[in-house]
Amino acid sequence: MLKSIFIILAGLSTFAVAENTSINGNVQSRCIISTDTEGTYGNPNAYTLTTATADGGVLAVTRFDITLADAYYAQITAPSSFSSSPSLPDTVTWTGDTTVKSISDATGMADYETNKVEFDYTDKYDMTATGSTWFKTTSAAVMGGSKAYAGGSYTSLVLAECIAQ
Amino acid sequence: MRKNCGIVLLISIAFFLSGLILSLDAKAHEMTPTYPKWERSHLSGILKAKMELFNKRNDVEYYEIGVFDEGFEPVPFVSAYSVVKLEYLGKVVFDVFINSKDKSRVVYVCSKSKLRKEELMRTAVSSRICSKFKD
Repeated sequence: MLKSIFIILAGLSTFAVAENTSINGNVQSRCIISTDTEGTYGNPNAYTLTTATADGGVLAVTRFDITLADAYYAQITAPSSFSSSPSLPDTVTWTGDTTVKSISDATGMADYETNKVEFDYTDKYDMTATGSTWFKTTSAAVMGGSKAYAGGSYTSLVLAECIAQ
Repeated sequence: MRKNCGIVLLISIAFFLSGLILSLDAKAHEMTPTYPKWERSHLSGILKAKMELFNKRNDVEYYEIGVFDEGFEPVPFVSAYSVVKLEYLGKVVFDVFINSKDKSRVVYVCSKSKLRKEELMRTAVSSRICSKFKD
């Protein structure tokens, strides 16, 4: 008798374990901006800060993940001022540029670099395909009159924007 | 048999560690939907749109919300947050309210990362995502 009750209870517990649990998800179009590498300034001489690899710098790399084609523009602006720095003895001349570093879709994204629109420090890309695109941004800041940068920390901002079309 | 189990275990550990490293290194900013819609709010003459923000940037804690016209000129709006404090891997759903007379002017709602000042010689990346009102 006791054995029969045990078997019935064991059977019931098996039913409980077999219950389905749902996992719900919502797939929608989106743009994700990821910071792949934060740039670092090298200091090849007293009056220059540059992200150029040959001068000990590191390029800033941002990744854009797009899940809907023709829905977004990627807009990347190289720095044109310091967001924080010690006091500057003279005006600084800025140069900077953004280019496509790598792409996840060799066919759909092949023309991104040639079709980009450049204005001032900004490069605008029409994201016509889904997938990931990596952009690298260079930046150089040369102190006027070849005056030396004061010792301290210098930070500038690369602005990475994803704007819906 | 025992040798195969060892190899499987090693591969599993390698996958786990690489996943862990990738997840620790990830710094992403995400806002949805791409094309939000205006809805009526509980107040007459006020429209609202629901947005969702996800912070996968471990270097960012604050995001600034803004509403703009076609030329990215700011348009007055009200939200529970104008600057959202969002922990790493945190998600927030928020409503943006505008006066219905501004509906035709409003084109973009944007979120922009706010970075902390740090003692480094570097270029930091500030991210901004803008969704568009198409109706």
